Amino acid sequence: MAFTSIGVSKKRADAVEKVTGQAVYVADIKLPRMLHAKVLRAGVAHARILSIDTSEAESMPGVRAVVTGKDCNIIFGICIKDQTPLAVDKVRHAGEGVAVAIADTEAQAAAACKTIKVEYEPLPHVVDPLEAVKEGAPQVHERNGDYEHVPGFHAEKGSNVFHHYKLRKGRAADGFDEAEIIVQGRFEFPHMAHMTIEPHGAIARWESDGGVTVWASSQGPYVLRSVLSHMYDLPMTKIRVVVPFLGGGFGCKSDVVIEPLVAAVAKAVPGRPVRLILDRKEAFTSSVVGRGMKGRMKIGAKKDGTLVAIEAGLYFADGAFADTSCNVVTAGGHNCTGPYEFRHCHLDSYGVYTNTPPVGAFRGYSHPEGHLMCERLMDLLARELGMSPFELRRKNFLHAGSINALGQTITAANGDLNGCLTSMEKAVFSGDKPVEDDRYVYGRGVASLMKSPVTASNAASCAVVRFNNDATVTVSMAGIEMGQGCTTVLAQIAAEELKVPYERVRVIPRVDTDLSPYEWMTVASMTTYRVGNAIVHACRRCIIRLLDNAALVLEVPEDELEYDGEFVFVASDPSRRVALKDLVKGYTHPDGHCVGDPVVAVGSHIVRGLQTPDPESGQGNCAAEWTFGAQACEVRVEKATGKVEVTHFATALDVGKVINPQTARGQVVGGVLQGLGHALKEEVLYKEDGNLANPVIGKYNVPAVSDMPGKQTVDLLETPQEDGPFGARAMAEHPIVAVCPAVLNAVQDATGVDLFRVPVLPDELKRAMDEKGGGA
Amino acid sequence: MVDEFITVTITVNGEAYAFTVTPRTSLLDILRDQLDLTGAKVGCGYGKCGACVVILDGEPVRACIVKAGKADGKSVRTVEGLAAKDGTLHPVQEAMVRSGAVQCGFCTPGIIMELVALLERNSSPSKEELMAALEGHLCRCTGYEAIVEGAELAVELFANK
Repeated sequence: MAFTSIGVSKKRADAVEKVTGQAVYVADIKLPRMLHAKVLRAGVAHARILSIDTSEAESMPGVRAVVTGKDCNIIFGICIKDQTPLAVDKVRHAGEGVAVAIADTEAQAAAACKTIKVEYEPLPHVVDPLEAVKEGAPQVHERNGDYEHVPGFHAEKGSNVFHHYKLRKGRAADGFDEAEIIVQGRFEFPHMAHMTIEPHGAIARWESDGGVTVWASSQGPYVLRSVLSHMYDLPMTKIRVVVPFLGGGFGCKSDVVIEPLVAAVAKAVPGRPVRLILDRKEAFTSSVVGRGMKGRMKIGAKKDGTLVAIEAGLYFADGAFADTSCNVVTAGGHNCTGPYEFRHCHLDSYGVYTNTPPVGAFRGYSHPEGHLMCERLMDLLARELGMSPFELRRKNFLHAGSINALGQTITAANGDLNGCLTSMEKAVFSGDKPVEDDRYVYGRGVASLMKSPVTASNAASCAVVRFNNDATVTVSMAGIEMGQGCTTVLAQIAAEELKVPYERVRVIPRVDTDLSPYEWMTVASMTTYRVGNAIVHACRRCIIRLLDNAALVLEVPEDELEYDGEFVFVASDPSRRVALKDLVKGYTHPDGHCVGDPVVAVGSHIVRGLQTPDPESGQGNCAAEWTFGAQACEVRVEKATGKVEVTHFATALDVGKVINPQTARGQVVGGVLQGLGHALKEEVLYKEDGNLANPVIGKYNVPAVSDMPGKQTVDLLETPQEDGPFGARAMAEHPIVAVCPAVLNAVQDATGVDLFRVPVLPDELKRAMDEKGGGA
Repeated sequence: MVDEFITVTITVNGEAYAFTVTPRTSLLDILRDQLDLTGAKVGCGYGKCGACVVILDGEPVRACIVKAGKADGKSVRTVEGLAAKDGTLHPVQEAMVRSGAVQCGFCTPGIIMELVALLERNSSPSKEELMAALEGHLCRCTGYEAIVEGAELAVELFANK
């Protein structure tokens, strides 16, 4: 099938707006009578609040209101309702808000915050998940286990474990008895900051009808609407959420973050918009962080390399509030096997309350943590067996007919793992590795990957496709444009399905719950797939309407008509035709009378057959689809310093049909560099007192242009996704999944040092190299 | 504590303005809050991310750490002033669009202004000079590949304009 609008690098729909400075982000919005909020942050990691004195702040110039936790003591959450907009009786992490000043200017609000006096009774705090699960550890939530929650989460009352996900397949004990060789390791993947260049922001205004409007940097406006509806017992008709462009998301703006706080404090000044834009420090300390896992894994295999059993325990330091991270915990549990078939699985994944910023979704959604473990161990196993790491992986890949850890049967349509691995072998391993020289040692590493979207079992998308009078097309949907290019790709899908030029289609990039059709959330790399499907559905309905209209004009039954994007014509006599532009508002005869109907249609897509995992086995149909891939790299390590440089990084993903090669490559190379940040630079550090030690750009180091790999290879395989729009499947998060193990495997190849923790910092690697050299 | 006010005169995209501000007010505050020129972004507020770069008397500056007084009597150009009145993009803008260098777009105006300043000083910069100019600009989306390609294309388009 020849395509005209997809498979082509069409110009980004939002590019001109963004290069001219016209694109509006939440911090650019100025509303009449707008006030400014500033939050007083606790600065203590765990403490009882004894008293708060706001009297001085209230009399400061320009101050309109001062709000404390007692003024907005409303519990909220999406999965587990365990948080309030501001701390009430107790502070659970140092970045938590204690009070808010609202003033005419931000500077006045900040000055007022400085005068608020809070008396604390310090409590012992815990930041390490392995410490937090010990008997006698400080209890972050005394009510753990009693909070209202959605199904599928299992708290251990009286402990800090708010969710224990367990997966049992076969009998691991038997599996390890059968195994002839066992490899194992303890791993650490510290908290990472999303570091979107745009910090979180929100503006809230309580309306005269008792409802509320929120402008927010949110990936999930409809989820936010549900949360606000529950918090204030308001019908959803009275809550409006507006989302402008997002300056990056990567998960940290999904679910809810600062928006309930802004809505709650704005209630003190009804009718006036209250704006809160986090400063960079707050973006680190007081939004969400990602990752934060310590874990162990053990893999058993036969001497011929056949994997038999896997056992793992993953402990996530999920911070002061559990909400989003419960799903991260579950996903980490069932995906830590990597793309391999094990007959016996015994996997435990724990979501642990700690006195740290809450963990939110982060690109990859616990797959990078799990893959660090399994893909490092695959290399260890290959070495023990004297097998090539490629052969060992190939031998054990999930393939058509194999049963994954969840109990799902894999089909060939899920993607081509072998093809991805072979691509990596060719890209990185085909030539000879450079030999050690005076300055560097060289190494190459590979890792495979799989990722499933983690979504609500009723995650849905809707779209409205409208033909305008000039036969251009306007598409409304509520996928959030946060840089991934969804408005471009979705316009390409609509153009292809409607057979009209791409330039005639506009997908509206701004989302407003009063106007935009329902969307669960823009997460899990599902916008191309799910919203794309909804758009295809709506486009097909539009074409039916066009045929219906034409049938009235041509007086021929619809099934004898055809549509080519310009005309509807009689199949047997194409000269009998009506132009598209004459059909879009019904058809108006020369005498003025009109027949037919305007061409507008709603389309929708909802994931089917998804289940909550079985509470005992942890199995079930929890993943709607899979994307497979492999990544490899060549590194050189400077012997004098231990500095790792990535000279070539390669990624192969089986993404199904590529809709836009330029934006697809952009997702991959961007995801890889984020992964290299995790592998080599980034880490959220804590001081003794539980405050973040490096909430500053320059101390928290994200990759700069000089950190680009010397070369990046991207190979996109296109096994069609059976139920995806034109065969497309999820791909945006995936390039981050196996970057860390690929780098650590390469570092081992170069230096002989086996590492189990990221980031790999020069001093630590140098020390390990020296120890190894000394011992040899 | 009562702030004293100062009056500064700044030419912005060719038009002269006088502002009465506190000495702590930054050039970025003036542009964003007083003139609604929101193309320059607040990414960090301490000069580390590059999202607020504008051109001050020909030099790229981080507007968030330039105090109002330092801009007094000077001329500022922002991303809003680049395109022609008929909408024709500046070669650097055009290059960024064509090379796919724009994702979320938050870092884009700062990068564009940095490159415009560079090209106006030196119309044939080396790859190293381009990389040095981009080094202080953080982008979390693109992995920089398309931005570097865009910078190289910008050199070409700028020469041919």
